[in-house]
Amino acid sequence: MQNMPAIFLRSRIRSSSHSPNCALRTFSIRSLFSSATPSTSQYEVPKPSRIRSCGFVAGSCSRLGAGWVRHLEEALGKSSCPVRFGGLRLFAAQPTIEPATSDGLTVEGIISNQWTILEESESDWKSHAAAIAQSISLIKRRLQWKKMLVRLELLSTQLDKLDLWDDPQHAGKISREHGNLMGKMKEVMEFEQELLEHIDMIKLAREDNDADLESESLKALLRMRRFSKEKELEALLAGEHDSCSCFIEVQAGAGGTESMDWAAMVMNMYKMWAQHRGYGVTVVDEMPGEIAGIKRATIKVDGEYAFGYAKAEVGVHRLVRISPFDSNKRRHTSFAAVAVIPILGEGFSHVQINESDLRIERFRAGGAGGQHVNTTESAVRIVHIPTGVTATCQNERSQHQNKASAMAVLQSRLDQLEMARQAQMNAQHTQSLTEISWGNQIRSYVLHPYRMVKDLRTNYEVSDPDSVLEGDLDGFILSYLSDLMDKDEASP
Amino acid sequence: MKPSLRPSFTRPWPCIASNFSTFFFQLPTPLTHARNITQIRHRHIHSSPSPPPPPQLASSPPPLLPLFLRPPEYTTTVSDLLEWHSWAKSLAASIGSSFEDSDNGPDSTLLCRELNWLMEDVLDGSDPSLMHKAVARDDPDTIISLKADVQELYSLWKQRIDERRPFQYIVGCQHWRDLILCVREGVLIPRPETEIIVELVGDVISKDEGLREGLWADLGTGSGAIAIGIAKILGNYGRVIATDLNPVAVQVASFNVERYSLQDKIEVREGSWWEPLKGVEGKVAGLVSNPPYIPSDDISGLQAEVGRHEPRLALDGGAEGMDDLLHLCNGAASMLKPGGFFAFETNGEKQCKFLVDYMQNQLPGSFCNVNTVSDFAGILRFVTGFRNR
Repeated sequence: MQNMPAIFLRSRIRSSSHSPNCALRTFSIRSLFSSATPSTSQYEVPKPSRIRSCGFVAGSCSRLGAGWVRHLEEALGKSSCPVRFGGLRLFAAQPTIEPATSDGLTVEGIISNQWTILEESESDWKSHAAAIAQSISLIKRRLQWKKMLVRLELLSTQLDKLDLWDDPQHAGKISREHGNLMGKMKEVMEFEQELLEHIDMIKLAREDNDADLESESLKALLRMRRFSKEKELEALLAGEHDSCSCFIEVQAGAGGTESMDWAAMVMNMYKMWAQHRGYGVTVVDEMPGEIAGIKRATIKVDGEYAFGYAKAEVGVHRLVRISPFDSNKRRHTSFAAVAVIPILGEGFSHVQINESDLRIERFRAGGAGGQHVNTTESAVRIVHIPTGVTATCQNERSQHQNKASAMAVLQSRLDQLEMARQAQMNAQHTQSLTEISWGNQIRSYVLHPYRMVKDLRTNYEVSDPDSVLEGDLDGFILSYLSDLMDKDEASP
Repeated sequence: MKPSLRPSFTRPWPCIASNFSTFFFQLPTPLTHARNITQIRHRHIHSSPSPPPPPQLASSPPPLLPLFLRPPEYTTTVSDLLEWHSWAKSLAASIGSSFEDSDNGPDSTLLCRELNWLMEDVLDGSDPSLMHKAVARDDPDTIISLKADVQELYSLWKQRIDERRPFQYIVGCQHWRDLILCVREGVLIPRPETEIIVELVGDVISKDEGLREGLWADLGTGSGAIAIGIAKILGNYGRVIATDLNPVAVQVASFNVERYSLQDKIEVREGSWWEPLKGVEGKVAGLVSNPPYIPSDDISGLQAEVGRHEPRLALDGGAEGMDDLLHLCNGAASMLKPGGFFAFETNGEKQCKFLVDYMQNQLPGSFCNVNTVSDFAGILRFVTGFRNR
């Protein structure tokens, strides 16, 4: 949890309610395994044999769920790798199966019981358990559990190849990804195990009339219930590059000053949103409009999960208002396009840029230059000749810094291009500004004749445009992200 | 009224008090334009090549300090500062492209950007966010601390617009490469183009350890920009002598050298061209210079910021603009050690080509690999080469 972005703690998500419907869509662990491994002959899925797995719940957390890792391992035919899982196998002395309480209750079972979920303040273990179980299933859906299993299997197969380490760089990448994936899955499974063990404890306490133990376990469930809310949100940002910083670019649509003003308002909205989030904001490039606003601008948003959130903003934003630039006070509709580019950190492979492939130009240079001219304008444009990708920076106070910033933008653009190429099907958030079709509207901001901001993808709406334009975007972002994840997993 | 971060254009222009701070009149008089430049340049200055006396930082009056280094000893309300800002912005906007049209000076967009930088320099560390908060809370009486009095800000910005005083002299510094160099009247403001000289040196020393560990000289160092840039890329190796004829430049360069704690690596010497290098003839690994190269006849037509405010001593290169460049070329062969590198900035293609031709035909056998290098605007700007081994 130490990596939890601060936003989770203060977010106002509204669409992650736990309707019983969504619980019905969950899959049992077993069904996940079988779907991930169509040819079962290859795998020895242990036969269910309910065993009592509690009794020493107070033990170390790392022990919880260890059996599950082992189970997963076995299901994937990986138990023959003592080096990788040696530590875990110590805890898996006996074959374990889908986690269940002593009387056979599973997370899936809890959900299908449809226990009423009451307020947190109600001390009812069934209510807590049902809420936690639903969270677990939501988290799995958001993490794209099925895909994770397929991926894990694929990586495990690769790790078992004898010639893997012939290419140490590739091998490192595979084993890192494998480790990350295992870590994420293990965390969820441990959480699941912990829930069931607490339920066992409560039942045990009731049998023994041990009021202290019962209230202790009830408290533990409440803690888990709160924690699971945070995990639900965290699961929204599990994408490969979600934790990166990013560039946000805004470009004005057709329509002259009115749309340039709108583009400036949109950019300002992001600056304020990022500042509220505690992110660092730097203007990298800004091309002002002749009378007002901006033609286009790029800002750098620095901080954990900046890309994960901001990617929800990609697309065209539409404004309807009485234009302050129209002397006849007519209603105008303007557009601004938003693109978001992740800034890949050290751990990612970057596109190699050849110095000789670059053309560096002084931007808006005129006259004799040198000693003849005293100007604080030192913008440079860098052109990557093979791809034609360009980057400009003009807001730094020295040419050297402008060049460095422009290079960073260029690097991210080329990385993005490469990711898009690799992904082949161009996911929306990897589109660049020029690729965003002006028809791709994602949100409408209406200031006249009524006042409303409505997201066209999620139908999430707010009746106070001012607060949105001042950067209060979390509702939009989180509802979009949860929609996206839930849709993604639902479709086969 | 809803507060807005965008300054409104409707605020009345506040009346500027007539008591402009006396601040600027405390500056030492720079070498004046009227003097006979050639005479100054070649007059013999009897300064020993020993290290210069330490700059009198402590006893210097505050004017030497650029804005950003001054203590935040003034306070004002957010509303007063915003009032100044919107006044300054209107003034900048009123310029439009008139400066640009008359002498390729700054347009309002650039002036507005400078205004933001002025704000950046005058506000104390955390105060920009404090100001945003005050604006957001609609609390115009919030007190913030500043590094200059608001009245002074009015007079500074008026100087910027009315007198075309260079922005870098207004804030007292120039951002150059990754450095912030203090500058003041009497010292040439280092240009973005000149940053490339440091890149060229970087390329050379990455290929030749001997040059990296050698002695470098920056002749006519001005603010010390090139010397400091080179000293930083030399890392733990080599050392640099920076020279200037102008005592103000020597003082400013020394200040900058000390600010980057490079006083053990860079020696600032006062004197004309080769004079301060007596004793190191034939031992110099690298020689760089951005000498005056503007033809005398062009001086009167220069952009106001340059022609009216920057030192003619650093700009005027004689009738063809080549006096000092030729002087440097003629002396470079005897000053450089065999294999030593030189890079000189020039006025452009014409001077570059002339110098290449001159070195090949008039100084045959002295240099090899003589080359020209363009700046980022595509203008042939530098002549580089090596002393024959």
